[in-house]
Amino acid sequence: MKGMNNNSAKIPHVTIDSDSDSDSEGFVEELPRVNFTSNGKAASGSLKTGGKTSSLSKGDAGKGGNTYISGKGGKGSASTAVSAKSDAELKLELDVPPNSRILMNCEVAELLQEIHEHMAILSEDPKIKIPESFDKAFQYAKEGNHFSTAQSVKQVLDPLKKYGVSDGEICLIANIGPETIEEVYALVPSLKATRSFNQGPIMEAITALTNIKVPK
Amino acid sequence: MFFHIVLERNMQLHPRHFGPHLRDKLVSKLIKDVEGTCSGRHGFVVAITGVEDIGKGLIREGTGYVTFPVKYQCVVFRPFKGEILEAVVTMVNKMGFFAEAGPVQIFVSNHLIPDDMEFQSGDVPNYTTSDGSVKIQKDSEVRLKIIGTRVDATEIFCIGTIKDDFLGVISDPGAAM
Repeated sequence: MKGMNNNSAKIPHVTIDSDSDSDSEGFVEELPRVNFTSNGKAASGSLKTGGKTSSLSKGDAGKGGNTYISGKGGKGSASTAVSAKSDAELKLELDVPPNSRILMNCEVAELLQEIHEHMAILSEDPKIKIPESFDKAFQYAKEGNHFSTAQSVKQVLDPLKKYGVSDGEICLIANIGPETIEEVYALVPSLKATRSFNQGPIMEAITALTNIKVPK
Repeated sequence: MFFHIVLERNMQLHPRHFGPHLRDKLVSKLIKDVEGTCSGRHGFVVAITGVEDIGKGLIREGTGYVTFPVKYQCVVFRPFKGEILEAVVTMVNKMGFFAEAGPVQIFVSNHLIPDDMEFQSGDVPNYTTSDGSVKIQKDSEVRLKIIGTRVDATEIFCIGTIKDDFLGVISDPGAAM
Protein backbone atom coordinates (compact mmCIF):
# COMPACT_ATOMS: atom_id res chain seq x y z
CA MET A 1 0.00 0.00 0.00
CA LYS A 2 1.28 3.41 -0.74
CA GLY A 3 1.62 6.31 1.50
CA MET A 4 0.52 9.57 -0.01
CA ASN A 5 2.77 12.32 0.90
CA ASN A 6 1.96 15.25 -1.28
CA ASN A 7 3.90 17.80 0.55
CA SER A 8 5.96 19.68 -1.91
CA ALA A 9 7.01 22.52 0.40
CA LYS A 10 10.62 23.54 0.47
CA ILE A 11 12.08 22.44 3.71
CA PRO A 12 14.23 24.72 5.84
CA HIS A 13 16.66 22.63 7.75
CA VAL A 14 16.24 22.78 11.51
CA THR A 15 19.10 21.76 13.70
CA ILE A 16 19.64 21.61 17.38
CA ASP A 17 22.92 21.75 19.18
CA SER A 18 23.30 18.22 20.31
CA ASP A 19 26.79 18.57 21.70
CA SER A 20 25.80 20.06 24.95
CA ASP A 21 24.71 18.39 28.11
CA SER A 22 23.17 21.64 29.14
CA ASP A 23 19.93 21.70 31.03
CA SER A 24 18.76 24.51 28.87
CA GLU A 25 18.35 22.35 25.80
CA GLY A 26 14.77 22.05 24.95
CA PHE A 27 12.61 20.86 22.13
CA VAL A 28 12.90 22.50 18.81
CA GLU A 29 9.88 24.74 19.20
CA GLU A 30 10.73 26.93 16.27
CA LEU A 31 9.53 24.55 13.62
CA PRO A 32 7.41 26.40 11.13
CA ARG A 33 3.87 25.26 10.60
CA VAL A 34 3.48 21.83 9.36
CA ASN A 35 1.48 20.64 6.46
CA PHE A 36 -0.20 17.53 7.66
CA THR A 37 -1.36 14.91 5.36
CA SER A 38 -3.50 12.27 6.83
CA ASN A 39 -1.71 9.14 7.75
CA GLY A 40 -1.67 6.93 4.72
CA LYS A 41 -2.22 3.26 4.74
CA ALA A 42 0.98 1.52 5.51
CA ALA A 43 2.75 -1.10 3.53
CA SER A 44 0.93 -4.33 2.93
CA GLY A 45 -1.42 -4.00 5.83
CA SER A 46 1.29 -4.75 8.35
CA LEU A 47 0.80 -1.33 9.85
CA LYS A 48 -2.60 -0.32 10.99
CA THR A 49 -3.28 3.36 10.87
CA GLY A 50 -6.10 5.77 11.17
CA GLY A 51 -6.03 5.56 7.45
CA LYS A 52 -8.68 7.79 6.01
CA THR A 53 -6.53 9.48 3.47
CA SER A 54 -9.17 11.92 2.45
CA SER A 55 -10.13 13.09 5.88
CA LEU A 56 -7.76 15.99 5.69
CA SER A 57 -7.61 18.08 2.62
CA LYS A 58 -4.22 18.59 1.13
CA GLY A 59 -4.29 22.25 1.97
CA ASP A 60 -5.00 21.61 5.59
CA ALA A 61 -2.18 22.55 7.80
CA GLY A 62 -2.00 21.85 11.46
CA LYS A 63 0.14 23.96 13.61
CA GLY A 64 2.68 21.38 13.09
CA GLY A 65 5.61 21.11 15.32
CA ASN A 66 4.22 23.66 17.68
CA THR A 67 1.14 21.75 18.58
CA TYR A 68 2.70 19.66 21.25
CA ILE A 69 3.90 22.81 22.87
CA SER A 70 0.85 25.00 22.56
CA GLY A 71 -1.56 22.18 23.08
CA LYS A 72 -3.94 23.75 20.70
CA GLY A 73 -4.81 23.71 17.10
CA GLY A 74 -3.94 21.06 14.63
CA LYS A 75 -7.11 19.09 14.73
CA GLY A 76 -9.14 20.10 11.79
CA SER A 77 -7.86 23.64 11.93
CA ALA A 78 -7.44 24.88 8.44
CA SER A 79 -4.76 27.45 8.22
CA THR A 80 -3.33 29.24 5.30
CA ALA A 81 -0.97 27.23 3.22
CA VAL A 82 2.57 28.01 4.26
CA SER A 83 5.83 26.72 3.08
CA ALA A 84 6.65 24.45 5.95
CA LYS A 85 8.70 21.50 6.93
CA SER A 86 6.34 18.64 7.58
CA ASP A 87 7.18 15.89 9.97
CA ALA A 88 7.08 13.58 6.98
CA GLU A 89 10.01 15.41 5.45
CA LEU A 90 11.93 15.59 8.72
CA LYS A 91 15.27 14.14 7.90
CA LEU A 92 17.40 12.13 10.21
CA GLU A 93 19.59 14.58 12.10
CA LEU A 94 22.28 12.23 13.04
CA ASP A 95 25.20 13.49 15.01
CA VAL A 96 27.65 10.64 14.98
CA PRO A 97 30.03 10.97 17.90
CA PRO A 98 33.73 10.67 17.11
CA ASN A 99 35.32 7.24 17.76
CA SER A 100 31.99 5.57 17.22
CA ARG A 101 30.26 3.20 14.85
CA ILE A 102 26.54 3.03 14.20
CA LEU A 103 25.03 -0.34 15.03
CA MET A 104 21.94 -1.86 13.47
CA ASN A 105 19.41 -3.50 15.77
CA CYS A 106 20.39 -6.92 14.42
CA GLU A 107 24.04 -6.33 15.32
CA VAL A 108 23.12 -5.09 18.78
CA ALA A 109 20.87 -8.09 19.38
CA GLU A 110 23.78 -10.46 18.70
CA LEU A 111 26.23 -8.40 20.75
CA LEU A 112 23.92 -8.10 23.73
CA GLN A 113 23.02 -11.79 23.51
CA GLU A 114 26.66 -12.67 24.18
CA ILE A 115 26.86 -10.21 27.04
CA HIS A 116 23.57 -11.53 28.41
CA GLU A 117 24.99 -15.05 28.52
CA HIS A 118 27.96 -13.83 30.55
CA MET A 119 25.68 -11.82 32.77
CA ALA A 120 23.54 -14.86 33.48
CA ILE A 121 26.56 -16.38 35.16
CA LEU A 122 27.51 -13.16 36.95
CA SER A 123 23.98 -12.51 38.16
CA GLU A 124 24.18 -15.54 40.42
CA ASP A 125 26.30 -13.29 42.60
CA PRO A 126 23.77 -11.25 44.60
CA LYS A 127 26.11 -8.27 44.72
CA ILE A 128 25.98 -7.86 40.96
CA LYS A 129 22.90 -6.15 39.63
CA ILE A 130 22.05 -6.07 35.95
CA PRO A 131 20.95 -2.56 34.99
CA GLU A 132 17.38 -2.14 33.89
CA SER A 133 18.42 -0.25 30.78
CA PHE A 134 20.39 -3.29 29.61
CA ASP A 135 17.32 -5.50 29.77
CA LYS A 136 15.17 -2.90 28.05
CA ALA A 137 17.72 -2.27 25.31
CA PHE A 138 18.28 -6.02 24.82
CA GLN A 139 14.55 -6.65 24.54
CA TYR A 140 14.16 -3.73 22.16
CA ALA A 141 17.03 -4.88 19.92
CA LYS A 142 15.70 -8.46 19.83
CA GLU A 143 12.17 -7.39 18.97
CA GLY A 144 13.34 -4.79 16.48
CA ASN A 145 15.46 -7.33 14.67
CA HIS A 146 13.63 -8.55 11.58
CA PHE A 147 16.42 -10.63 10.11
CA SER A 148 18.22 -13.91 10.57
CA THR A 149 21.79 -12.65 10.96
CA ALA A 150 23.51 -9.29 11.07
CA GLN A 151 26.16 -10.44 8.61
CA SER A 152 23.58 -11.17 5.93
CA VAL A 153 21.99 -7.73 6.42
CA LYS A 154 25.39 -6.04 6.10
CA GLN A 155 26.10 -7.94 2.90
CA VAL A 156 22.82 -6.75 1.42
CA LEU A 157 22.99 -3.13 2.53
CA ASP A 158 26.69 -2.25 2.43
CA PRO A 159 26.72 -1.97 -1.40
CA LEU A 160 24.28 0.96 -1.08
CA LYS A 161 27.15 3.09 0.19
CA LYS A 162 28.41 3.32 -3.39
CA TYR A 163 25.14 5.04 -4.30
CA GLY A 164 25.44 7.80 -1.73
CA VAL A 165 23.45 6.15 1.06
CA SER A 166 24.99 7.13 4.40
CA ASP A 167 25.64 4.79 7.34
CA GLY A 168 22.78 6.35 9.29
CA GLU A 169 20.36 5.82 6.40
CA ILE A 170 21.50 2.22 5.95
CA CYS A 171 20.97 1.62 9.65
CA LEU A 172 17.51 3.16 9.45
CA ILE A 173 16.58 0.92 6.51
CA ALA A 174 17.81 -2.16 8.37
CA ASN A 175 15.89 -1.21 11.50
CA ILE A 176 12.67 -0.46 9.62
CA GLY A 177 12.71 -3.63 7.51
CA PRO A 178 10.79 -2.03 4.65
CA GLU A 179 8.64 -3.97 2.23
CA THR A 180 8.33 -1.45 -0.59
CA ILE A 181 10.45 1.26 -2.13
CA GLU A 182 7.78 3.84 -1.30
CA GLU A 183 8.08 2.94 2.34
CA VAL A 184 11.82 3.62 2.20
CA TYR A 185 11.42 7.04 0.62
CA ALA A 186 8.58 8.00 2.95
CA LEU A 187 10.47 7.05 6.10
CA VAL A 188 13.95 8.13 4.96
CA PRO A 189 13.14 11.30 3.03
CA SER A 190 16.79 12.27 2.67
CA LEU A 191 17.12 9.52 0.05
CA LYS A 192 14.63 11.24 -2.23
CA ALA A 193 17.20 13.80 -3.30
CA THR A 194 19.15 11.14 -5.18
CA ARG A 195 16.24 8.90 -6.07
CA SER A 196 17.13 8.61 -9.72
CA PHE A 197 20.54 7.37 -8.70
CA ASN A 198 19.70 5.04 -5.83
CA GLN A 199 16.26 3.68 -6.64
CA GLY A 200 17.42 0.58 -8.49
CA PRO A 201 19.96 -0.54 -5.88
CA ILE A 202 17.52 0.12 -3.04
CA MET A 203 14.86 -1.97 -4.73
CA GLU A 204 17.33 -4.81 -5.12
CA ALA A 205 18.28 -4.46 -1.48
CA ILE A 206 14.65 -4.61 -0.38
CA THR A 207 14.11 -7.80 -2.39
CA ALA A 208 17.23 -9.33 -0.87
CA LEU A 209 16.17 -8.29 2.63
CA THR A 210 12.79 -9.94 2.13
CA ASN A 211 14.59 -13.22 1.56
CA ILE A 212 16.44 -13.04 4.86
CA LYS A 213 13.55 -11.76 6.94
CA VAL A 214 12.47 -13.90 9.84
CA PRO A 215 8.68 -14.14 10.22
CA LYS A 216 7.42 -13.00 13.61
CA MET B 1 19.90 4.36 17.36
CA PHE B 2 22.68 2.28 18.83
CA PHE B 3 26.35 3.18 18.66
CA HIS B 4 29.51 1.38 19.58
CA ILE B 5 31.69 4.08 21.02
CA VAL B 6 34.97 4.60 22.86
CA LEU B 7 34.67 6.74 25.94
CA GLU B 8 37.08 7.83 28.63
CA ARG B 9 36.49 8.22 32.32
CA ASN B 10 38.60 9.01 35.35
CA MET B 11 38.06 6.34 37.95
CA GLN B 12 38.98 6.89 41.57
CA LEU B 13 40.06 3.90 43.60
CA HIS B 14 40.53 3.67 47.35
CA PRO B 15 43.92 2.27 48.44
CA ARG B 16 42.23 -0.72 50.09
CA HIS B 17 41.65 -2.11 46.57
CA PHE B 18 45.28 -1.98 45.61
CA GLY B 19 46.88 -5.32 45.06
CA PRO B 20 47.19 -8.01 42.42
CA HIS B 21 43.54 -7.62 41.36
CA LEU B 22 43.62 -3.85 40.97
CA ARG B 23 42.66 -3.97 37.30
CA ASP B 24 39.68 -6.24 37.97
CA LYS B 25 38.51 -3.95 40.73
CA LEU B 26 38.78 -0.95 38.42
CA VAL B 27 36.79 -2.68 35.70
CA SER B 28 34.08 -3.77 38.16
CA LYS B 29 33.82 -0.25 39.49
CA LEU B 30 33.64 1.12 35.97
CA ILE B 31 30.80 -1.24 35.07
CA LYS B 32 28.96 -0.41 38.27
CA ASP B 33 29.34 3.34 37.80
CA VAL B 34 28.65 3.59 34.11
CA GLU B 35 26.30 0.85 32.91
CA GLY B 36 22.69 1.98 33.02
CA THR B 37 23.51 5.68 33.18
CA CYS B 38 22.45 8.28 30.68
CA SER B 39 24.28 11.33 29.50
CA GLY B 40 22.80 13.95 27.26
CA ARG B 41 25.77 13.75 24.96
CA HIS B 42 26.05 10.04 24.33
CA GLY B 43 22.71 8.69 25.41
CA PHE B 44 22.07 5.63 27.52
CA VAL B 45 25.07 3.43 28.22
CA VAL B 46 23.62 -0.01 27.65
CA ALA B 47 26.65 -2.22 28.14
CA ILE B 48 30.41 -2.00 28.37
CA THR B 49 31.98 -4.31 25.81
CA GLY B 50 35.66 -3.90 26.63
CA VAL B 51 38.38 -1.89 28.27
CA GLU B 52 40.91 -0.46 25.83
CA ASP B 53 43.42 1.12 28.12
CA ILE B 54 44.01 1.95 31.75
CA GLY B 55 46.43 4.80 32.19
CA LYS B 56 48.86 5.47 35.02
CA GLY B 57 47.25 6.25 38.35
CA LEU B 58 47.66 9.64 39.93
CA ILE B 59 47.58 9.96 43.70
CA ARG B 60 45.25 12.69 44.84
CA GLU B 61 46.72 14.96 47.44
CA GLY B 62 45.24 14.77 50.86
CA THR B 63 42.98 11.77 50.30
CA GLY B 64 45.13 8.89 49.18
CA TYR B 65 42.68 7.98 46.44
CA VAL B 66 44.22 7.27 43.06
CA THR B 67 42.71 8.44 39.81
CA PHE B 68 43.07 6.19 36.78
CA PRO B 69 42.10 7.36 33.29
CA VAL B 70 40.21 4.45 31.74
CA LYS B 71 39.36 4.15 28.06
CA TYR B 72 36.53 1.74 27.39
CA GLN B 73 34.22 0.60 24.62
CA CYS B 74 30.50 0.49 25.14
CA VAL B 75 27.15 0.26 23.40
CA VAL B 76 25.06 3.39 23.79
CA PHE B 77 21.52 4.15 22.73
CA ARG B 78 20.54 7.63 21.69
CA PRO B 79 17.47 8.76 19.80
CA PHE B 80 17.68 11.36 17.04
CA LYS B 81 15.24 13.64 15.33
CA GLY B 82 13.91 12.08 12.18
CA GLU B 83 14.56 8.56 13.41
CA ILE B 84 11.92 5.89 13.00
CA LEU B 85 11.41 3.66 16.01
CA GLU B 86 9.13 0.81 16.97
CA ALA B 87 7.89 1.43 20.47
CA VAL B 88 5.52 -0.19 22.94
CA VAL B 89 2.71 1.93 24.38
CA THR B 90 2.91 2.25 28.15
CA MET B 91 0.18 4.75 28.93
CA VAL B 92 -2.72 6.36 27.09
CA ASN B 93 -4.57 9.48 28.11
CA LYS B 94 -6.54 12.24 26.46
CA MET B 95 -3.39 14.28 25.81
CA GLY B 96 -1.80 11.47 23.85
CA PHE B 97 0.17 8.39 24.71
CA PHE B 98 3.54 7.43 26.12
CA ALA B 99 5.62 4.71 24.55
CA GLU B 100 8.94 3.11 25.27
CA ALA B 101 11.64 2.16 22.82
CA GLY B 102 14.40 0.48 24.77
CA PRO B 103 15.36 2.76 27.64
CA VAL B 104 13.86 5.88 26.02
CA GLN B 105 10.42 7.31 26.69
CA ILE B 106 8.54 8.95 23.86
CA PHE B 107 5.40 11.03 24.05
CA VAL B 108 3.00 11.27 21.12
CA SER B 109 0.59 14.13 21.49
CA ASN B 110 -3.01 13.71 20.39
CA HIS B 111 -2.29 16.41 17.81
CA LEU B 112 0.19 14.07 16.21
CA ILE B 113 -2.22 11.15 16.10
CA PRO B 114 -4.36 10.84 12.97
CA ASP B 115 -7.54 12.87 13.24
CA ASP B 116 -9.82 9.93 12.68
CA MET B 117 -8.61 8.32 15.88
CA GLU B 118 -10.55 9.42 18.92
CA PHE B 119 -9.71 8.98 22.57
CA GLN B 120 -11.92 6.50 24.40
CA SER B 121 -11.75 6.64 28.17
CA GLY B 122 -12.64 3.71 30.37
CA ASP B 123 -10.92 0.81 32.03
CA VAL B 124 -8.54 0.54 29.12
CA PRO B 125 -8.07 4.02 27.68
CA ASN B 126 -7.29 3.90 23.99
CA TYR B 127 -7.38 5.73 20.70
CA THR B 128 -9.65 4.07 18.16
CA THR B 129 -10.70 4.77 14.64
CA SER B 130 -14.36 5.47 13.95
CA ASP B 131 -14.86 2.01 12.49
CA GLY B 132 -13.07 0.38 15.40
CA SER B 133 -10.56 -1.34 13.15
CA VAL B 134 -7.44 0.24 14.59
CA LYS B 135 -6.79 0.72 18.26
CA ILE B 136 -3.90 2.11 20.27
CA GLN B 137 -3.85 0.99 23.88
CA LYS B 138 -1.36 -0.12 26.50
CA ASP B 139 1.07 -2.72 25.13
CA SER B 140 0.26 -1.91 21.51
CA GLU B 141 3.31 -1.75 19.27
CA VAL B 142 3.55 1.39 17.18
CA ARG B 143 5.98 2.69 14.62
CA LEU B 144 6.65 6.38 15.18
CA LYS B 145 9.00 9.09 14.07
CA ILE B 146 10.95 11.19 16.54
CA ILE B 147 10.33 14.87 15.87
CA GLY B 148 11.98 16.38 18.91
CA THR B 149 14.37 15.40 21.63
CA ARG B 150 14.94 17.01 24.98
CA VAL B 151 18.26 16.34 26.52
CA ASP B 152 19.45 17.12 29.99
CA ALA B 153 22.34 15.87 32.05
CA THR B 154 20.91 12.48 32.85
CA GLU B 155 17.86 11.94 30.74
CA ILE B 156 16.61 11.99 27.19
CA PHE B 157 12.97 12.49 26.45
CA CYS B 158 11.40 12.47 23.03
CA ILE B 159 8.34 13.66 21.19
CA GLY B 160 7.07 11.54 18.35
CA THR B 161 4.43 11.44 15.68
CA ILE B 162 2.39 8.74 14.02
CA LYS B 163 0.66 11.13 11.71
CA ASP B 164 2.71 10.35 8.64
CA ASP B 165 2.75 7.67 6.00
CA PHE B 166 3.82 4.20 7.06
CA LEU B 167 3.57 5.10 10.73
CA GLY B 168 1.07 3.77 13.19
CA VAL B 169 0.04 0.62 14.95
CA ILE B 170 2.00 -2.53 14.16
CA SER B 171 0.18 -4.84 16.50
CA ASP B 172 -2.07 -4.50 19.47
CA PRO B 173 -2.81 -6.95 22.22
CA GLY B 174 -6.54 -7.16 21.64
CA ALA B 175 -6.58 -6.57 17.91
CA ALA B 176 -9.93 -5.98 16.36
CA MET B 177 -9.29 -7.35 12.88
